[in-house]
Amino acid sequence: MEYMGIDRDRLHFSWVSSAEASKFITVVKEVTASVKALGPATKFVKDRRQVS
Amino acid sequence: MIGYIDKIREVALKLLNEEKVDMVIGYRQGSLPMMTEPCFVKRPEDVETLIWDSNCRINLAAYLMDRKEKIGIIAKGCDSRNIINHLVENKIKREQLVIIGAPCKGMIDNKAIALQFGQDIDEYQETEDQITVKGGGTEKTFQKVDVLQENCAICNHRNPVVYDELAGDLVEEQTDIDRYEDIRKIEAMDIDEKWNFFEDMLSTCIRCYACRNACPLCYCPTCFVDESKPQWVGKSNDPNDTRTFHFLRAFHCAGRCTDCGACERACPMDIPVRLFTKKLGKDCLDLYGWEAGLDPEQRPPLDTFKPDDPNVGMK
Amino acid sequence: MKVIQIDTNQWTEGLAKLEGSYRMFGPAETEGKYPEFKELEKGDVPNLNVSNTHLSAKSVVYPQSEVMFEYTLDEAKEDHHQLREIEKDYSPRAVFGIRPCDAAANLIIQRNFDSKEYRDPYWVDAFESCVFIGHACENPGATCFCTSVGFGPFNEDGLDLLLVESDNGGFLAKVITDKGAVLAKSAGWETETDAAALEPLKEAAEAKIRSKVNTDQLAKQDAKDLFDAPIWEDIGFACLNCGTCTYSCPTCWCFDIQDEVKDKSGIRMRNWDSCMYPLFTLEGSGHNPRPEKHHRIRQRFMHKLKYYVDKYQAGVQCVGCGRCVRLCPVNIDIRTVCEKMNSYKPA
Repeated sequence: MEYMGIDRDRLHFSWVSSAEASKFITVVKEVTASVKALGPATKFVKDRRQVS
Repeated sequence: MIGYIDKIREVALKLLNEEKVDMVIGYRQGSLPMMTEPCFVKRPEDVETLIWDSNCRINLAAYLMDRKEKIGIIAKGCDSRNIINHLVENKIKREQLVIIGAPCKGMIDNKAIALQFGQDIDEYQETEDQITVKGGGTEKTFQKVDVLQENCAICNHRNPVVYDELAGDLVEEQTDIDRYEDIRKIEAMDIDEKWNFFEDMLSTCIRCYACRNACPLCYCPTCFVDESKPQWVGKSNDPNDTRTFHFLRAFHCAGRCTDCGACERACPMDIPVRLFTKKLGKDCLDLYGWEAGLDPEQRPPLDTFKPDDPNVGMK
Repeated sequence: MKVIQIDTNQWTEGLAKLEGSYRMFGPAETEGKYPEFKELEKGDVPNLNVSNTHLSAKSVVYPQSEVMFEYTLDEAKEDHHQLREIEKDYSPRAVFGIRPCDAAANLIIQRNFDSKEYRDPYWVDAFESCVFIGHACENPGATCFCTSVGFGPFNEDGLDLLLVESDNGGFLAKVITDKGAVLAKSAGWETETDAAALEPLKEAAEAKIRSKVNTDQLAKQDAKDLFDAPIWEDIGFACLNCGTCTYSCPTCWCFDIQDEVKDKSGIRMRNWDSCMYPLFTLEGSGHNPRPEKHHRIRQRFMHKLKYYVDKYQAGVQCVGCGRCVRLCPVNIDIRTVCEKMNSYKPA
């Protein structure tokens, strides 16, 4: 995704076991914080096609 | 390499006469100079239509999937690696095949030659090292090494990996080559440069799916772009949908692509779509030491799990 | 009809004058890309140095993707779940540098989109808004076979004006229709000249076309015999079933209708479709009457070279532009297939 031009911080991978509640919280906080910091996405946003 | 044809015809004739195969898949002369057309031969008297030259660029493994016949097939290094992929993925059985290996010194880039020649080409001739084209009262000779397809110039598996017969002596493999210079260049771009680079590169795509259909890896009964329940991708030529198609297709080829170049050869708009698949090929090599289609006994890294697999980007 | 002389200054000045009253279209070249027909930005001039655009000019009238309706699914809105027509710009368009093959192709498409029974409003309105200023082919390419299918490098079908390059860098323009005359007048191109100058150029250009194909027996062949002929598996074997031939073809007209919804607002659009795709005929039941690729390739050639011939009695559905021949990744050549169909004798 990064190779294609999507910010690295928009895509997160994590392995969280069902027993790891606190890790889950940490991960979600990290994900939302880093995406919020980037602001609204401008790439891969599909607008109404131009009418020819 | 052009001398292979006698041996190819001889083997094809023998296989058909002895009824060891029902058909031989090879190439015949196309209607245009520097073009061949994949074809099948079922009757011994038709083996003369088979040809071999530096224009046999289409990957014949794309014509094997799910066939039930016994088949003789001509295989360059890349074709043979895709045959191994098919064996690994159960698309064809080894005992159905008689593989006529064609040690390959590379196929030529007919579009680049036409561009350099600058006018219509009426005649084409090749020797072991040279390509001569004629047209409009002039002629021009190229050194074959200067006009190879890009993927052939950086090929490190020219000899067939698996074969039953050989059309000629094995050739020396290229060792001193840098396969990923172009990929590193893109990797070094900043994030917006990367986005804009691909936006421009894909801007002429007409969604004809020639790249997908020429690819021996793309055999899904219904491709994700053709699904309507659910519809994963829009069908118009919206740039987001076009990009989604290209990069998802590349992902589906990760760890399977042999860089045979069929996708790029087929593209009517000359879009360098290998820049997607090669990146994933590079990653597979860097992360798993993996090159696709070398061993029918080995499972590809992306359908196996090992405890010591690298955790790329995992938190 | 009269012939006008346009010198290089008059050409540039004329184009500038026309910008006010026409949307301008023409071949445009972007670096590293093939020349294609585009709507020109103000001040840009059509590039008439290209031998022909890579894809056909059909997209000027018939774009690959075209939105037809919009709607809302928001039940709070009064007109929810109702299709609303999209407003379109059908103001006059001047299409410069269209080659005679592509211009003639529009008349073939017209038979389908503008018939007694049906009128496709999008295509017809766009077509009628166009003035086609053709560019005669003085140097036809190696895969051009327009003279074999009833057209030619100076053909006037579907054109309003025909430009022929003259020695001094300007053009000779043959006025073909009233629409063409109006455009020439508003461009200030009014210097009449001798029409006789064109004939030798036309003959010389026609003589340069080396590629020939026979079509004379197609109408007499029995459609069922051709359909059942044992030639299709061989012709279709190499076919990848990509859409290159149909999308590059100036006479292929098939489309598919799609809805796209984002949140509660949606659009209905049509996109070019291709008879090469399995989905083209896939029925809701799951049955596909053309399940194999040789069925599909048979359809393409039978449609162009037999069904169309029989239905309209106006020749083949091909203008001989040679694009499918050049662009087919596996070199399936309509000329070769046409010869096989034309000379076919049932056993």
